[in-house]
Amino acid sequence: MPGLALCGFIALGFAAGAYYATGTFATFSKLNAVVGALALGVSAARAFGRVRGAGSPAFRGVLARGALSIALVLGAGVALERLADASQLQWDWSFERRFELSDGSRSRLAELCGRASATLYADEYDPRARSSRLLLRTMAATDCLPFTEQNLSDSAEAEDRFGIGSSNTVVIEVGDRFETVGRPTEGTLYEALSRLSLPDSHLLYVTRGAGEGNLSRSDGSGFSGLREALLTEGFRLRDLVAAAAEEIPEDADAVLLLAPERPLPATAVAALSAYLDRGGRLVIFLEPGADSGLEPLLSEWGITSPDELVIDPASGPVAGAAIGTGPLAFQYGSHPIAAGLDSGRMTFFPGVRTFKLHKPRPEDRMETIVYSSGRAWLSPDLDAVRRSRPPERPADAREDYFPLVVAARYPRGDIETRIVAFGDVQLASNQYLRALYNLDLVLNALHWAADRISPGTRPKVVAVSGRLQLPLPLQNTLTMFQGIGLLLPELLLVAGALFWARSRV
Amino acid sequence: MTALRALIRKELLVLFGAPMAYVALTLVVLVTALIFFDHLRIYNQTLFLFASSNMGGFESDTVPDYINLRDTVFFPVMETMGITLIGLIPLVTMRVFAEERARGTDELLMTTALTPGQIVFAKFAVTYLFVTIMMVASFVYPAMAIIEGGIGAQHLASVFVGLTLHSIALASIGLACSAYTSNQLVAAVAGWAVGFVLWDFSWITSFSFVGERTIGFLDAISLHLRYGSFAEGIVNLAHLVYFIALAALAAAIARFSFDWRRVAG
Repeated sequence: MPGLALCGFIALGFAAGAYYATGTFATFSKLNAVVGALALGVSAARAFGRVRGAGSPAFRGVLARGALSIALVLGAGVALERLADASQLQWDWSFERRFELSDGSRSRLAELCGRASATLYADEYDPRARSSRLLLRTMAATDCLPFTEQNLSDSAEAEDRFGIGSSNTVVIEVGDRFETVGRPTEGTLYEALSRLSLPDSHLLYVTRGAGEGNLSRSDGSGFSGLREALLTEGFRLRDLVAAAAEEIPEDADAVLLLAPERPLPATAVAALSAYLDRGGRLVIFLEPGADSGLEPLLSEWGITSPDELVIDPASGPVAGAAIGTGPLAFQYGSHPIAAGLDSGRMTFFPGVRTFKLHKPRPEDRMETIVYSSGRAWLSPDLDAVRRSRPPERPADAREDYFPLVVAARYPRGDIETRIVAFGDVQLASNQYLRALYNLDLVLNALHWAADRISPGTRPKVVAVSGRLQLPLPLQNTLTMFQGIGLLLPELLLVAGALFWARSRV
Repeated sequence: MTALRALIRKELLVLFGAPMAYVALTLVVLVTALIFFDHLRIYNQTLFLFASSNMGGFESDTVPDYINLRDTVFFPVMETMGITLIGLIPLVTMRVFAEERARGTDELLMTTALTPGQIVFAKFAVTYLFVTIMMVASFVYPAMAIIEGGIGAQHLASVFVGLTLHSIALASIGLACSAYTSNQLVAAVAGWAVGFVLWDFSWITSFSFVGERTIGFLDAISLHLRYGSFAEGIVNLAHLVYFIALAALAAAIARFSFDWRRVAG
């Protein structure tokens, strides 16, 4: 009897295997399936027939009661599982709360609440649509972005109207306006929502002509990424030619200086000084070794920046530079600019100078936004950032938490001047803007300077892991394995041996 | 109640008094340590490789999205552990009922004041306790490494809950199989086979004659999909209920073996 059952299993196995290998349910597969099923059926029937007392009423009663109790448990289990599934109750314990929306997305959805709707256009069997659907469901759960799904092959008109290029495309509509998102991620949907929400537009003047960072340049050292991000966040950008700037226009909400390589002309410095005196807002990026000509003006407002390089050995070698020359900052002050940033959300400064703060007036508020680690020290060797060897540490070098980004408010009657100063401009370049949380830091600073509420932490737009996850150095991992990884099994075996020996006595 | 307590005590003594329990614990702990540390080592190396000068540091897009603890460590460790446990757990459960049957002590047990339901409860509870201890011991390394790293304790808890539930489900299947035979080897192989079949039905989608509804049903009963969500860090109520229902069903089937034996011999 077991032989017949075994033959049945073998035949069924070959039927499935042949189908799996050839992709067709041919005669061989069919024959094996039939023979296998028959053999198993006969085997089961004969086994059942040999059961002692199978025909007795007592047997039937016990069998019925047992089968009923199993069926009841099964039915209750299925019903409870379906109920739990319908409740959609789940807890997100994942790193970075991957299945929860970022502050930025929630803020944008709230702005468009009740006005926006989303449609997912996808082919029936497009596997990519699954994650898009999950994402849209998560957004729909906020009750601000209802979404529907359309089969792309049935949507020729929508394809033309919205310019849909491929399956797995989301169209977000607000009245007559729409945005088409070809590769939906939280980041790309956030950008589309931002463009549609169009918050009150703020005018940002960006100086040029003194070797500042170029907002049009799209290579790694350019700043076109920052330009795009600012436009997405609702800023309007206007050039301010330093050589011709005798006055900062009245309509400026803020002025942005991206590390001038040459000193600004005296007229431009005077214009900026007058602008700050009348309650202007300035966001300035400095660079080690570069004289912007604005240092005396900043000093008047209580911000001085020694032209020395911050060396932070805690950061290790990053981006090909010598150890410590590119600090990975993870300590932030309590300030709206650092909202959402914490020790797990680092920012990267590839070559940075520090600041010293002294209040011009008691009512002024000057704060450090980003600190180096406590192991950092200052080096006058500014070229160290371009070498792979760390600079010599002077004997009298002092270790401290050095400010890398500072912000200040100067209330003067009815007006308030604001200045944000960064010790490095490269963190906003195309190469590093979207690394770690640099983008959040830079945009938060511009929002704060222009007196706008930042949407909070933004979803990552590019494929860079949100948190830098460095669990343990390799050596520590191996030490831990050799120390504890082998100790515990050894102790368990010893315990087993002792129990065994004791039981024999 | 006294008889039930006595049975639980006896089961505990039998389980923890035998060297086989410690060998099984050691094997699980050792296998977890090897799998986990190897993946952590590879993850560390990959991360530092991407962060090194040769690869351009943290330049945008140089650290791919898939280089993270979840995808590089927890997912593969969970996958490997899930399959490894399918083979290991039946070794723990095979003797629980089958040994009693082979020695004939199950009939002695039936002469006590205990009902079949209480016997099943005692044996299941002790086995669950052992399996939980096994998982706790095997989680010492991931817990230490991750907590030392300062991140992901909640995700680790999710992974632990998933692995423990998966082990309890496999133990339940093994116990139900053990209840129907007096041969420990047959119990182990049957437990392994059922667990293996229930593990994943994704292969069946290659058969064109299998309909969407069948695939949906098979997906709903497969262990892999339920268990996988815990690795993602999602603790879903429906998945928790699934594992509890599976354990209850196995207990009902094991309970039925007593009635079956009474009339069928």
